[in-house]
Amino acid sequence: MLAQSWDLLVQRWDFFWGLLLEHMEICLVAVLIAIVFGGIAGILISEYQKAAKPTLAVVNFLYTIPSISMLGFLIPFSGVGDATAIITLTVYALLPMVRSTYTGMTNVDPAIMEAARGMGGTRMQTLVRVQLPLALPVIMSGIRNMVTMTIALGGIASFIGAGGLGVAIYRGITTNNAAMTVAGSLLIAVLALVVDAILGFVEKRMRARGAKSHRTNRRLAIGAAAACAAVALGATVPGALAGTGGIIHVATKPMTEQYVMGEALKMLIEHDTNLKVELTEGVGGGTSNIEPAMESGQFDLYPEYTGTGWAMVLKNEGTYSEGEFDQLQAGYQELGMSWVGMYGFGNTYGMAVRKDVAEKYNLKTYSDLARVADHLTLGAEADFFEREDGYDALCNTYGMSFGNTMQMDIGLKYDALAQGSVDAIVIFTTDGKLSTADATVLTDDKGFFPSYQCGNVVRDQVLQQHTELRGVLEKLQGTISEQDMARMNYEVEEEGKDPKTVAEEFLRSKGLI
Amino acid sequence: MSTTTTNDVAIEYRDICKAYGEKSVLEHLNLRIPRGEFITMIGSSGSGKTTALKMVNRLIEPTSGTVLVDGHDVRETDPIRLRRNIGYAIQGSVLFPHMTVEENISYVPNLLNKHDHERTRKAVRTWMDIVGLPCDLLERYPSELSGGQQQRVGIARALAASPDILLMDEPFGAVDEITRGQLQVEISRIHRETGITVMFVTHDIGEALRLGTHVLVLDEGKVQQYGASEEILARPATAFVEQLVSRQRHACDLPEDQLCACTHSGAARARAALAAM
Repeated sequence: MLAQSWDLLVQRWDFFWGLLLEHMEICLVAVLIAIVFGGIAGILISEYQKAAKPTLAVVNFLYTIPSISMLGFLIPFSGVGDATAIITLTVYALLPMVRSTYTGMTNVDPAIMEAARGMGGTRMQTLVRVQLPLALPVIMSGIRNMVTMTIALGGIASFIGAGGLGVAIYRGITTNNAAMTVAGSLLIAVLALVVDAILGFVEKRMRARGAKSHRTNRRLAIGAAAACAAVALGATVPGALAGTGGIIHVATKPMTEQYVMGEALKMLIEHDTNLKVELTEGVGGGTSNIEPAMESGQFDLYPEYTGTGWAMVLKNEGTYSEGEFDQLQAGYQELGMSWVGMYGFGNTYGMAVRKDVAEKYNLKTYSDLARVADHLTLGAEADFFEREDGYDALCNTYGMSFGNTMQMDIGLKYDALAQGSVDAIVIFTTDGKLSTADATVLTDDKGFFPSYQCGNVVRDQVLQQHTELRGVLEKLQGTISEQDMARMNYEVEEEGKDPKTVAEEFLRSKGLI
Repeated sequence: MSTTTTNDVAIEYRDICKAYGEKSVLEHLNLRIPRGEFITMIGSSGSGKTTALKMVNRLIEPTSGTVLVDGHDVRETDPIRLRRNIGYAIQGSVLFPHMTVEENISYVPNLLNKHDHERTRKAVRTWMDIVGLPCDLLERYPSELSGGQQQRVGIARALAASPDILLMDEPFGAVDEITRGQLQVEISRIHRETGITVMFVTHDIGEALRLGTHVLVLDEGKVQQYGASEEILARPATAFVEQLVSRQRHACDLPEDQLCACTHSGAARARAALAAM
């Protein structure tokens, strides 16, 4: 596993290096804000002791909010992306900063403070020349803890579409690429350790006394500041120079096929037009976070599924079928968005049986299956047996009754089917493993499962601004079948291919680029 | 005591009372300290001597009464300006541990004038000389100094801005007997040479009598006696003072060669005890 991760790191160093820079940027901004505001708050509450308890109570409270909920709370206010990530990291960094500053300031020997006062220093002079320098070792160790924590916590930023090494971790999780998850985690750990070591060195230098070490410290500080400035410049200038043409902000959900589609969209749009695409991949929470960001204009375009749009965005009741597409399109029009370029595949629940079973009983539809279900064993994940529109509803609709049912993890279903421990399984129609499984997918002849056809949701404003975009997206109409998508998912999840490579091969095979 | 103030009075306490809640720590203190005096204040702990001292630079405010410095009510003086004109040295190592000796001594001059570094630099060296420290200690940090050296730096720091008044709160409390003797000699000499008004709190009666031109004896917030050292020794005003100075009253300070001529001396009594064995 480590060897795989290492290979991945070496092969795709550009990708990881970009994420590492982003990670450092996000954490650095959060840490700097926390140092300034946390430091000021810590100093103020040490001066005005009455405010200390309530202030510490508030930052303590903020600290106890689980980071996932914090991100959730903030998305309506600051949207998805770096801003929310930085705010969240800053909020968590505040507690250690405020507390260590407060502790450091209040633990300065009162006799020394009285001496400073008695010698006629103003409050400010005493603070700056005596109290703060003496509190600095405590504050510094607080900063050290806080920075390490921020770097580790920064991994979560990708869940809301911000950059950083969390992108690698999350992508690894959603595309069944453990090596990538490990590589991302390792880099976070290494970054945290390196930064901690640097801060440890800074701490040591600050304790060093004598004129000579002061001179060395000054030189080191200037060197470090220059290095920081160079990194900051390197990180911002290319971005600033790139922003000439129009930029299309494309988002994708944390699903393997969406990573592939995102890369395909980027390649195709940049190939056919002068537009630049900024891709935010694997936004945590999917529709519930991407859709509000579309409404606020943070994202311009993302691949969505009709059934999801029908139920989650338009909040319609009842099972969606493609006959209602016009109503769906009209509903989106009111939101200022359109469906453009339906890919041609649906990602929905389906039922598959082992080929020999299909042949033995001559099974083609769910109704066929219902006839013989009492001889068969069904495998599905726990969720399917729980949900309202799951197992019980299916059985009612078709009058099915399986001889036996087995609850199992998604990843194991196909193995269980091949081994014969189950005869039928509940699948997603684009499951990567489906493309190689010895299985027959049956037809939902009564339309029990809602339809989840995939297509692009685009903001109308963007379509008007960049008229060339509609044509590009329409090129994708009907280009991907369920088998195609399942095979591409298989290539990413099981063969470990890069989504970008898979997307490129797909576009070439269709002659689109 | 007269209520008029003349130019010769550096510090005056007018009917000072101080209480913390129910507990009274100073009761009706009236005292005038002429310019150039070396006042030692003695009493057991809790007698109010430190409280009285800190009222001069307004670290403590009286409950009632008035403190005048140079004839001005301290309550009407800006505390920052007041303090910068009053040297302040306290017990133990309260040098700033993050500053070198030089930075410590120039702390107050730097608060006063931020630009004339050369003058400050010279003043620091002069004061190092006066308190008897070699200049090669200037770059050291307090933790690298002996207790006696730290106290000398503390005195130099208190005097560095050439104040008119020097407040010292048990400044030699934390150093050994021999060093304390040396420091006492030094502070007497500095007082003589600069003509500064000194208020010196101590709980060592020997030190109080040796250093003070006048001695103030306090007990439980009340003045027991105020007078020249000789007066305290010759005519203790209360039982408390008598007990306090009894050892000094009984000491005879004979020269070494006559020590055994007086049979009451410690040396003679010890010799007699040895002979009887």
